[in-house]
Amino acid sequence: MNELDARIIGSMVDNARLSFRKIAGDADRSTDTVINHYNQLVADGVIRCSTVAVATERIGYEGAAAFNIDVATASGGNPSAIMETLIKMPNIIVVTKTVGEHDILTLAVIHDINHYAKIGREIAAIPGVRSISSNLWPGGQEICPKYFIV
Amino acid sequence: MTREAALDRVDEAILRALQLDARTKYSDIAQTQDVSVDTIIKRFRKLKRNGVIKRTTLLLDPRRLGLEIVATLAMTVEPNGIDEVVDYIQRRSGVLFATHSVGQYDVFAVAATRTMNEMNTLKEHIQGHGKVKDVKASIWVDQFLLCPQNFELEPLLEAQR
Repeated sequence: MNELDARIIGSMVDNARLSFRKIAGDADRSTDTVINHYNQLVADGVIRCSTVAVATERIGYEGAAAFNIDVATASGGNPSAIMETLIKMPNIIVVTKTVGEHDILTLAVIHDINHYAKIGREIAAIPGVRSISSNLWPGGQEICPKYFIV
Repeated sequence: MTREAALDRVDEAILRALQLDARTKYSDIAQTQDVSVDTIIKRFRKLKRNGVIKRTTLLLDPRRLGLEIVATLAMTVEPNGIDEVVDYIQRRSGVLFATHSVGQYDVFAVAATRTMNEMNTLKEHIQGHGKVKDVKASIWVDQFLLCPQNFELEPLLEAQR
């Protein structure tokens, strides 16, 4: 990653709709060069996507929760299949395999305590899930917006 | 008084489109909603003004930026030390996020470091805090999945009917 790449990322992290022409002007480079670098950053996976950061409390979420999931691998539980199910569930925003205390970690946004319990029940009911534990986080805070969602 | 915003189908369409690609053209959104481009621009500005949209942004892969190790650090802490520990952790290099937590652990953090040694050092620093009783680390393996489109907007639309 060179200086122009860093400038593109630095500009667009705060405003992903910034025009390439504006970035090019600020960097004293051509618009085509900026577009090419941006496309390469996407192709290389440095930029995973552009999105909108929403104020979750303004769209009805009171907080977030982390669900640690243990997979029943001995009886055929498949972590990848469980992850594919999780990623399609409403309100799940991050899913990852983990090495350590548990097999999968998933982060969810929650409307209220009943919703939190409902998501927990839905995760526990996924075939192959052996057990879950969870933690509730208060709302109104940003969770790594540069790398995640909220 | 509710803090929730009032949204309609056009607002929803804007949010849904931008969640998947923040650079979606206003004209493309306008076409799907059969409204003018000006309407979409005004609604987008209103969503920002009302605080629903904080900003448009990029989601980056920390590993592609040299932060090879991403981990969750889950802590049990002395009851009188939670605020102090959260503050301490938030100031450590490599910590992306730290929060109070209710449930199995008292404090929850996500960190990204260049090497496993750096992650171990971070964990040891946190473990060394007098109010921290235990730290459990879970390393994120493979590519983690992101799903920004999974936010539910429908309950807000229902409330408008």
